[in-house]
Amino acid sequence: MKNNIAIKVDDLTVAYNYKPVLWDIDLEIPEGVLMAIVGPNGAGKSTLIKSILGILNPIAGSVSIYGKSYEKQRALVAYVPQKGSVDWDFPTTALDVVMMGTYGSLGWIKRPGQKEKKLALEALEKVGMLPFKNRQISQLSGGQQQRIFLARALVQDASIYFMDEPFQGVDATTEIAIINILKELRKANKTVIVVHHDLQTVPEYFDWVTFLNVKKIATGPVKDIFNDDNLTKTYGINYKVSIQE
Amino acid sequence: MSSAQIEIQLIASLVAIACAIPGTFLVLRKMAMISDAISHSILPGIVIGFFITQDLNSPLLILLAAITGIITVVLVEYIQKTGLVKEDTAIGLVFPILFSIGVILIAKNANDVHLDVDAVLLGELAFTPFDRLLIAGVDVGPKSLWVIGCILLITIGLLFAFFKELKISTFDAGLAASLGFSPAVIHYGLMTVSSVTTVGAFDAVGAILVVALMIAPAATAYLLTTNLKRMLVYAICFGVFSAISGYWLAHWLDASIAGSITTMLGILFLMVYLFAPNKGVIAVLYREKQQRTEVSLLTFLLHLRNHNEEEERHVNHLNEHINWQKVRSKTVLELALKNNMIVIDNHIVSLTEKGTDFTSQAIDYIITNEDSKIEHMKDDFFLFRG
Ligand SMILES: Nc1ncnc2c1ncn2[C@@H]1O[C@H](COP(=O)(O)OP(=O)(O)OP(=O)(O)O)[C@@H](O)[C@H]1O
Ligand SMILES: [Mg+2]
Repeated sequence: MKNNIAIKVDDLTVAYNYKPVLWDIDLEIPEGVLMAIVGPNGAGKSTLIKSILGILNPIAGSVSIYGKSYEKQRALVAYVPQKGSVDWDFPTTALDVVMMGTYGSLGWIKRPGQKEKKLALEALEKVGMLPFKNRQISQLSGGQQQRIFLARALVQDASIYFMDEPFQGVDATTEIAIINILKELRKANKTVIVVHHDLQTVPEYFDWVTFLNVKKIATGPVKDIFNDDNLTKTYGINYKVSIQE
Repeated sequence: MSSAQIEIQLIASLVAIACAIPGTFLVLRKMAMISDAISHSILPGIVIGFFITQDLNSPLLILLAAITGIITVVLVEYIQKTGLVKEDTAIGLVFPILFSIGVILIAKNANDVHLDVDAVLLGELAFTPFDRLLIAGVDVGPKSLWVIGCILLITIGLLFAFFKELKISTFDAGLAASLGFSPAVIHYGLMTVSSVTTVGAFDAVGAILVVALMIAPAATAYLLTTNLKRMLVYAICFGVFSAISGYWLAHWLDASIAGSITTMLGILFLMVYLFAPNKGVIAVLYREKQQRTEVSLLTFLLHLRNHNEEEERHVNHLNEHINWQKVRSKTVLELALKNNMIVIDNHIVSLTEKGTDFTSQAIDYIITNEDSKIEHMKDDFFLFRG
């Protein structure tokens, strides 16, 4: 079994305007897993990721990444936000957006140069978006926008990747292309955490899963815990997913 | 031109540049209204600063007033965070209160000094050359020129240093935060620059022109480009152009300079709004018309390719078959003929080789969306311009 813990969450409680939306979450995510976070709309999946990334301040609990606080480990982490969290009419091109992924390693004030541009072009190539590099981002389709954000995470060259619904509104080809890139990342012993809604594909895409609905319902290897019992506890109705072997 | 005239234009231009830079980011952050709020609510700060310093151009006064600007922003955000009202309502609640406190302070205490509400709102560029800065008895130019010059230098320095940070936190605050560029720091930095610029400029040009110079050039530039750096450059050019042309308009009409500059800003925006090559109203209408024609052409060619039967390809029959209410069939037929894509033989239309090729390429492109396939067709057809 894998024993290096990439992310550890202890007693995490997060609230918006003093109304908690995540209660007392404990979570250990081993290094090198491709993990799905599943749960109904409003379960707090995005909130959990944002709190791990320090975008939201929890009212209680702590998060550590390889044993240290997020602030110290920032360079190890890349994040693809849920769609709609950026300003699509912003005057910027696909290439420019991907370059933003390199800003973290540059730090304050220093500006991106040729090296960063080359990295960005390579990442665009990887997600098949090179022909669109000079497009204004609002002129891309939803799936193409998603690929741009994936490319942006790839240039960060992180150890841990968070993706909030990367498959939202993408076609089957793109979905397979994305999952293949994610599987490659896992092969390189990176940890990938994906908010995922399509329960049918969980066993096929992921090897680890966390059930979340305000509280943590369960977390562990897909083959051990991805069952009707946990699904029912998470979604509240009787859930039946037959896992094809 | 007299030296006073040159000085006025120089001051107006520097104010325009100093406003366009934070203005561009305010427009992109959809915070145009905040600049309005700041420009009005700094009044109490200015009045209190004036009581203390007795000098409208003192750095201390600028600082005090800028702090009032920040307080405005904080108050607006605080009210908004309660979730009871929206941002515009919060702005509408905060700045009239602060502004009226300023008005009352003036009415109560400053009746006899050079500080009245009109001057604050409208400023008077024409008087700026008379208030000189003397260093060791030597006249080094108008005070306003020095004040706004210093503010502009600081703004440009900050812009060059933090361009990347401003860009990323405006575009994607979540990513900025996760990469360690605190969006809050950048947000309040921008608000501070906006407040300082507003205070520094208000004495010369008045609160209303400051707002106009922050928002209008940036909004105009936004219509013309999809590149942030270019947007900044355009906004600066529009600001300076309006400042100088507005000055001469006022000279010619013998009217208020600030009013004329604002008018020029409005005219410029209107022109660009109508005539901008991509986002302009006329360009959009023209493009839509072209696209309609071209979609009809393609539908028509596709129909020809899919039907070998002669009756399906009879000129009269085509009118019924394809939905051409919006585009006259004659236009489409002529366009196809002109481009050698069809031949008409005894009222029967058929595709030429070029027409067949074009149709397959176009369909390919629409499905795959690969630009390389249609590179050579881009000049002829709007459909393919991305
Ligand atoms: N900015 C906010 N202010 C107040 N409440 C919020 C805010 N963002 C989210 N919430 C609430 O917090 C809860 C969790 O939201 P979150 O976005 O984490 O859900 P999610 O699991 O990601 O849902 P989805 O599947 O729809 O993306 C929801 O009840 C939501 O209404
Ligand atoms: Mg979510």
